[in-house]
Amino acid sequence: MSDIGQVRLRIPSSIKPGDVVQVRSLIIHPMERVERDAQGKIVAKNYNYINKVVVTYLGKTIAVFDTTQSVAENPFFSFTFKATDPGQLKVQFLDTTGGRYEGTADIKFS
Amino acid sequence: MNDGHAIPRREALKALGALGVGAAAGGLAPAMSAHAQAPALGQNESVQDAMKRLFGGKTIKDGSAVIKFDIPLIAENGSVVPVAVNVDSPMTPASYVKHIYVIADKNRIPVVTRVTLSPEAGKASVGANIRLGETGEVRAIVEQSDGTLLQVAREIKVTVGGCGG
Repeated sequence: MSDIGQVRLRIPSSIKPGDVVQVRSLIIHPMERVERDAQGKIVAKNYNYINKVVVTYLGKTIAVFDTTQSVAENPFFSFTFKATDPGQLKVQFLDTTGGRYEGTADIKFS
Repeated sequence: MNDGHAIPRREALKALGALGVGAAAGGLAPAMSAHAQAPALGQNESVQDAMKRLFGGKTIKDGSAVIKFDIPLIAENGSVVPVAVNVDSPMTPASYVKHIYVIADKNRIPVVTRVTLSPEAGKASVGANIRLGETGEVRAIVEQSDGTLLQVAREIKVTVGGCGG
């Protein structure tokens, strides 16, 4: 379980200024499902799942994903952003136990 | 933290023991309150309730002209279903896609995700891997910056459900 929170970001290898770039992100996370007891009642506990993904580029928020337990384990998200200046793209994943995982990618023009 | 808990008197008398019980009760409380706040978006509810909660009584128009909703028609494994939503939108500050919702009608937690976009995204195109509990409709609902709601729905066959519980 030590892999929880590993983030992988994938961006195209060559980006030109002004391009709309698609980014694919993946995080290793269990995204716990709702558990039920023998009577079919939901077990009340704090399920550990990612409920927010925040994408920032050059300090500005590009996209926010509010997610629920209906999102798959080891979730994958893709999104786009407009590359205007070289800088840092940051994707933050927040889970319900206060976990905060992030992945960054440096946007450079070739 | 202990103030909120009614600790029986006999425990208060057992000086050291009371500390232990108090700490245990205190440790449990934050976990419960976090659970109470967390599922604001994803609740165990019917899809009708979810739609009412998210969109109120607003009319949702057919958006098949502008929304491209990519999802396999037959999902063999319900625990990982790739979906992608592409919306034809200029994405300028005057007119852009504000929210993209993905809603799975038959899931116990119907609201899968709500994506909030800003015009800097350049294109309204998002993807995610979702879970589907059983065969049913999956909708992509787009809210544009002027408040217009557009919807595309697909019937997806699920061979093995992926929501468990």
